[in-house]
Amino acid sequence: MTVAETILVFAGAPLAVVLLLALLTIGPAARNRRPRYKPGQPWSHEPIWYEPHPEGTGHGSDHGDGETTAIGSSLYGERHGADAAATHAVSGGSSSAGGASAARAPRPAGPLGGARGTW
Amino acid sequence: MTSALEVESHDTATSQTAAARTDEGIDQIFSFRELARIDEALTMSSRETGLRFTLYVGDLGTPTRARAEELHAYSGGNTAEAVLIAVSPGQRVVEVVTGSAAARRLPDRACALAVLSMTTAFAGGDLVGGIVNGLRQLSDQAGRPSVRHGH
Repeated sequence: MTVAETILVFAGAPLAVVLLLALLTIGPAARNRRPRYKPGQPWSHEPIWYEPHPEGTGHGSDHGDGETTAIGSSLYGERHGADAAATHAVSGGSSSAGGASAARAPRPAGPLGGARGTW
Repeated sequence: MTSALEVESHDTATSQTAAARTDEGIDQIFSFRELARIDEALTMSSRETGLRFTLYVGDLGTPTRARAEELHAYSGGNTAEAVLIAVSPGQRVVEVVTGSAAARRLPDRACALAVLSMTTAFAGGDLVGGIVNGLRQLSDQAGRPSVRHGH
């Protein structure tokens, strides 16, 4: 076994394996890189408000949720008109302008409870 | 690997209609997989407890508590049964606001416990995980409603 062969087998082969594993590990993360939140960095995104899906699935619901009874259309039923946007689960309306929340009148709910936390 | 929601834009907007949802920039904060987790957590905890959980992510201004309580009045539906989780990552503040009826089933101590677990996750940079775990704790604490209204 010549020196070149020895180096190729005992140094080149392990290096190739390590590089392959490193590529498989780091590759996917580097590809879809999303600006990840880190504590302390400023938050420059628009405010966004997420709501649950309306409860009625359309079968004789008296809440007025879900007017569509067709199974194929949507699991949650569909709303029409003004509150169609409001009932979408991922309603990307900003809190102050447009979207679901601006259309609503404020309804103060008596003495409020809750908690506060910082990190 | 399948994506939770369709992310590819087909450019279906016309002069009469608004841009497609995939053309809007809703993908900026959370990935679609994370959005699906939040969506499921909100929907399932609201459905199990009969309360209405909503989640606000954005700046709260100062004072944060007053702003969160103001937002709670706008959370829609019966606000007495609404629970607002307001997260302001820029200010590093999370506020949980419960309506008067919701507060009977979610005492402030239970909210504080959920907030504690949320802030622990947020401090590690895991916004979605903290939100989902906090929702789970809150809904576990609230339990099922004694009387289902309407049904």
